[in-house]
Formats: sequence, C-alpha cells, structure tokens
Amino acid sequence: MNKVKSAIITALLAAAIFVLAFFALIPWSYNGGIKTFDSFVQYIHLGSEFTGDAYVMLYPEGVISTADYELVANDAENDDSKEYALKYEQCGGAYVEKEKIGYVYDSNKEEYVKSDNAAEIKQAFIDSIAKDAAVLSKRYAEKGYTSYSVAVEDEGFAIKVTVPTNFTYADYKNSDGSLSDISHTIQYFAYSGKLLLKDSDSKTAHSILPSTYEDASSLFKSISVYSAAGNYSIKMVFTNDGYEKLNDYINSGDESSTVYVYVGDYNTNLNITSELFAGVSRNTLHVSFQDANIAKTYAEDYAILLNSARTGNYLTNKYNEGSASSDTSVIALTPSFGKNAAIYLFVAVLLAIVAIIVLSIVKYKKLGIVNALMVLVYSLAMVTALMLLEIQVTMAGVFTALLGLALLTFTNFRVFEAVRKETELGRTISAAVKTGYKKTIATILDMHIILIAASIILAFASVGELAACGFIFFIASVASYVLYWFTRFMWYVISSLAKDKFEFCGYKREVYDDED
Amino acid sequence: MKTNIKLSSKMHLFIIISSAVVAIGLMVGLICQFVANGYFNYGADWASYKSVTVSSSIMEFVDEGEVKEVCENAFKDAGVNYYSESWGEQSGDYVGNIVVYKFTKSTNQDNLKKAVEKIETDIKDKAEGNLSQSFASWHDVDGLLGSGKAIWRGAVALASVIVLHFIYFAVRYKLSMACAAALADVHNLAIFISLLSITRIPVGSSIVAFAVLTVLITAIGTCFLFDRMRKNNKNEDLKKLDAFELVDLSANESFKINLILPACLAVAAVVLFVLSSISALSVLSIISPILCAIICFISCAYGTLFFIPSVYSRFKVIGDGFKKKQARAPKEKTSK
Repeated sequence: MNKVKSAIITALLAAAIFVLAFFALIPWSYNGGIKTFDSFVQYIHLGSEFTGDAYVMLYPEGVISTADYELVANDAENDDSKEYALKYEQCGGAYVEKEKIGYVYDSNKEEYVKSDNAAEIKQAFIDSIAKDAAVLSKRYAEKGYTSYSVAVEDEGFAIKVTVPTNFTYADYKNSDGSLSDISHTIQYFAYSGKLLLKDSDSKTAHSILPSTYEDASSLFKSISVYSAAGNYSIKMVFTNDGYEKLNDYINSGDESSTVYVYVGDYNTNLNITSELFAGVSRNTLHVSFQDANIAKTYAEDYAILLNSARTGNYLTNKYNEGSASSDTSVIALTPSFGKNAAIYLFVAVLLAIVAIIVLSIVKYKKLGIVNALMVLVYSLAMVTALMLLEIQVTMAGVFTALLGLALLTFTNFRVFEAVRKETELGRTISAAVKTGYKKTIATILDMHIILIAASIILAFASVGELAACGFIFFIASVASYVLYWFTRFMWYVISSLAKDKFEFCGYKREVYDDED
Repeated sequence: MKTNIKLSSKMHLFIIISSAVVAIGLMVGLICQFVANGYFNYGADWASYKSVTVSSSIMEFVDEGEVKEVCENAFKDAGVNYYSESWGEQSGDYVGNIVVYKFTKSTNQDNLKKAVEKIETDIKDKAEGNLSQSFASWHDVDGLLGSGKAIWRGAVALASVIVLHFIYFAVRYKLSMACAAALADVHNLAIFISLLSITRIPVGSSIVAFAVLTVLITAIGTCFLFDRMRKNNKNEDLKKLDAFELVDLSANESFKINLILPACLAVAAVVLFVLSSISALSVLSIISPILCAIICFISCAYGTLFFIPSVYSRFKVIGDGFKKKQARAPKEKTSK
C-alpha cells in the first residue's frame, strides 16, 4: 500500500473515532445554552447500584401507614381523630384496623375488645398478605428486572416492592427520570382477584362468561407478550370452547357486543370489541398498542397480570385503596454506591482503558497504537450498542464488558507475540504477520466460538442481570473477533507509513533482509 | 514470565487444597444454615433488616444536611448504627423528601423506637411550625423474595454453558481435554462458592452473575492452556517428552497469560472499589460485589493455573494409555 492511501485511511479512521468519541462522551449545549445534547454514555441505562432503586409500600385494605394515621389522629380539629385512635392498633410502622386482627366493638364499653379467636384471625390475615407477596414476587420475576425484591414488613402487615429505577445518567443527573413505567407496573401488578370477562365498564357490570361466580381462566389457553421488530402486543390464545363462547356473545344479536377484561373489581381497560375479535386467527388474538413509547411496558404488564390471574396466582387483598398520604407513592432513592457512583464508575472504566493503551504502547511501541485504536473502537462500539439496545449496566455488567476488553487485548497481544517469534526466525514482517495470524487463528476462533455460544445461552436462557451480562458479553465477543481481523488490516495500513517496520513493531531485527 | 513449576507432581497437594476448601466451605455453610443466618452471609439485597424512614411532605425549611444531623444525633443517643442511607424525592401529588436508614436485623427494636420518637420531636422543634407534615417510622423487613427465578434460570444457563464447553472441546480438542475443561468449570465454581461461604462476605443478587463470570474466565483460560497442549502435542521434538513433562511445559508456557487475565480484572475491581468507597463515603454498602468479584478472579486463577494442569496430566496418561491399547488391539487381532 502506498503512503498516501495509508495516510488517508488512517486519517479517516482517526476522524471517525474522534467524531464518535465526541458524541459518545461529551455533552454540549446549543440554542444559546437552553438545550443540551447528552452524550451516548449519559443515555446508558444503569443498574440500581449506580442510579438507585424505586420502591413502593403496599398496604392491604384495613392497614394504613404511620403518615396516614398521624395525619388524622394527631389533628385535633379532625372529627375522625378519636375514632382513629380507637380503631387502629400499631404494628411496626403500620396501623391495622382492630377488626382485621380479631377485635370486636363493644358498644357498652365503647371500645374494641379482643375476641376469643383473635390470634387465629390475625395470623390468617398475616398469612394472606404473605401469600400475596409470593404471588407479587412471581409477577415481578416475569418482568425480567436486573434486581428486585418483594418484602413483607411491619410485622407482616405491609409489602415493600423494590425495583431498579432503570434511569440513564442523564435522567438521574437532571432528576427528570420518569417513574411512570414503574408506577404502571406496580399499579397493575397490585390488582387483586380472578380473571373475569364483563359486559360493561360501569360499576354495575357483571360477569358474562362462563357465569358470575366463575372466573374466565378456562376460556384461555395462554396469555403472553408477543414482540416482533420492536412492536409489542398481547397474545391471547383461546381454548376452542372459549373462542366459541366469546364468538357467540360478541356476534350474537343485532348489535355486536364488547367484552371487558377485569381482574377482580379492576377494569384493565382491555376491551375485546367485535372489530378486534374479527382478527382472531387460529384461536389467537393480538392486542397491540398505538403508542410505541408505552407498548412494551403495557403489553408486558397486561400479559403478566392476566396470565398470573389465569393460572390461579391472584392476590386476595386489595392494596393501597383510599390511601391519603404520599407514603404509598413510588419513591426513587439515591443509589447504595453513593450519589456520584456513576461518575466514579465512568472514571474507573476510563482508567482501565488508559492503562491498556499505555501498556500496549510501552510493550509494542507504534504497533501498540494499532491496539490502542482497536481498544478505542471497542469501547465506543460498546457504549453505542449499550445505548441503542437499552441494556441495563450493573456492576457485573461492567466486569463483563471489561472481560471483553481484556479478551480483545489478549487476542491482539497473542498475535503480536506469535509474529515476534516468526521474526526471530528471520522472516520479514509481512511474512511473519501472515504466519503469525495463521498459527493463532485456531486458538482465537475456538475461544471466540465458545464465548459467543456461551453468551447466547446466557442471554436467552437466563433472566435479569445475568441475561444483561449475556447480551453484553455477546457484543464484546463479536466485537473482539471482528477487531482481531481489523487489527491486521490497520497494522498493514499504518505500518505502510513506517520506514523501518521492525522498529514500528518494537521487534528486534534478526536477519537484515529487505522486507519490501 | 515462564515458570518451571512441576505442577503434575503436585496433583495430590492441589486436590487436597481444593477438597479442603470445598469441604470447609460446605461445613461452614451448613453450620451457618442451621445456626446462623444462612448458607451464605446474605447481604443487603437478600437479608432481612430494620429500617427507619423519615418522610416530609411540603417541606419549607429542611434540607438534607439538617435532617441528617437530627437523625444521626438521635441514632447516636439511642446507641444504634445504620449501614446504609438513601435519599429520595416524593413525586406526584406530594412534594417532599424521604430518607431511609437501614439497620441490621439484630438492632435493638426498643432503641430504634426511641430514636424514631426523638427524630419526630426534634424535627418538629426545629421546624418551628414551618414544616407542614413530617413523619418518622421504623420498619422490620422480613423475608425478601425476589431472585428465585433468576437463580434457577441462571443455574440452568450455567449448566448449559459447561455442557457446551465440554462438547466443543471433545469435538475440537481431545476427550481428555474436554473432561478437564468441564472439571475446570465445576472446580472453579465450587471454589468460588466455598470461598464465599468460608469468608462470610455479604452476598447479593449479583452472585449469580459473578458465578457466570467465573465460568467465562475459566473458558478463556482453558482455551489458552489446552491450545498450548495441542500445539506441543503436535511438535515432533516435544512428542518425545512423557505426559507429565509435556503438561508441565504447556502449563508453564500459558502461565503468564492465565495469570494476567484474572489479575487485571482484580486490579480493575480494586480501583472500582476505591472510587466507589469515595463516592459512597462508606465501605459497607459496596464491599459485597467487589469482594465477590475478587474471589471470582482468585478462584479462576488458582483453578486454571494450578489445579487443572496437574489433574489433566493424569487424564492425559489415562487417555494415552487407552489410545495405545486401542492401537494395539487391531494388531493383535490380525496376528491371531
């Protein structure tokens, strides 16, 4: 390759890296500083260690938070304050209606007295909440969060649900991260009761199929999320009997009817109209959403809730009904790693990249620059992929990406060493490169095939943080293998500019042949 | 770095070390399962805990610093120590701040109640009527449910990766190498889990991810190790060496690369730990994943550098013996 061509290609690559690095790393203001362009790094979704958790307290009917209690009980002007003091008993950080735990009101004494079977009634209530917590945990497990917890607290009378905020650094820094997706999920997953199909969305609605006293589980074979090309819908598969019954109801009579899907007393706003039902094919109905921004969350939430209720995993208590205080709203907390954890993470990763670049250059002189370029391309490709694919990066995810970086560097160093050995045998650089690559290809290929296959298994067979790590390592392994070949190309291109190719590579010339 | 360690002659030593680590890990884990808080020392992600929540709606005066001062004084007076502090903002219809302090399960409940009462009184005194609503409450959080599905799906994925590792090595390398590679995965995982159990490092939900990282690093290490073996096996000069010498030579040649990989990752973990400690102004809340990572890298380094080459030397002897037998059998048949 002549030097002009070589210089142009090198300059183009350097410019591409520079431009990508600018957009990936540096936020900038425009329009007179009113608007800000956040960098790609700031758009990467981070795990709860770096941007915190969101939690919500779920109080069953008959249980209220300390805030709700104190708002009324400590307000002397409130007419209900005395009633509250009489009616509720403190259990940890919650207040429980005495009737719920086996007390009966004695109108003569004007106070609640313990019934004989109070202990059993209290225990049954606690057990029902624990059972609901287990059902909720199963629902959240289906969501695929990198981490979440469902905990019973306050002596068993309240449930605390914690999920990652999934904020990007931009959301977190500007405090404008939306919790609406999480709120939607928490609201829907807390719906209690069986799966019902009703004839109206009014309060007087009644069950139509199969009857008022039965749930509609037998009408569905499965309810799941269907996604294709970034579009999400709910996939409902009816049983033969279910399809016939729905068909009879919707299409009977002069006017077509609509079926309203309920979970217990809650209208899910999922209505099966005659137009929608006409699209049923092979007993399968797809319900899609117009707004692409909410489609994923809504489809997942509906499918998980309805399928959970269909399979008999339903909540028996109603939660956060008529709560007065903010204690039941979704709250985003600062991360356990500290407020600035994301910045320190960025610095740590940057240090690792700089260390690898310095090591490359010290060890292989100008050839190290080729590896440094590959490290930069890998890092920028990883940042861009993580941003575009919206993969949540946790602490384990960071180590997985670093393992990919180590894989790329070790692969290149192995080739560089193989080439060095060839030059020590008296070969020219071009012959040594050819032989070096030939000798290492088997190892490199084997290693990458195993790692790519393993990462695919991890990405698809596991859930949550592990699946995220699988995806990250898949990107890392593919990038490492592609860059292994790209290294050879850039080695050829950049070394064309050098007069002494041995010096360029930091190798000692054993035989003084004219390598050109 | 080329070492001259005679690994194959030390197989019994490494087997004893590994068995001892696994046995002690199992013993400590089982004892703790029955008398303490579980097989592992479950960290903040999974452990039951007590907490104090101070929520304030419609704040007019209080900033983070003032609330923190009030709370810390109250905790100090009550003689209770928290291990984690998080701040949050209430959104929607209610505006205000919330702060959550977490305490270990064993924290004295009465002392916690006293602290909560003091916080409520002190905040109201400080507010001098400006603060519309503020509440402090203590909570006892039991039985975290959450990672069950992630663990069993992770275990299935891990088992599948180990099987894939074995099959690929059996096809591309040798059956004896495939057995050693699968053993390396299982061994390193067992050491990782046992060390977590012995050291009682608080483990969280990321333990599954680090277990997978152990298998991935082991896969890379075995690729380097057995590739060296394969190349040396094909070398006419080295073919004359006996199995033990050949394995020792190959292990020593791949020693450097198999040491540097986990060592570099361990250094990255330490850097991340130092920076995170500065960020969190606390070591307790971040020590769990970092120590998990370091134990993962130690397990990989020990298994790939010492245990597997020494055990593989025996596999090779058995494999070579079997091969000779197979080669002799047709000759014997034809001579008969």
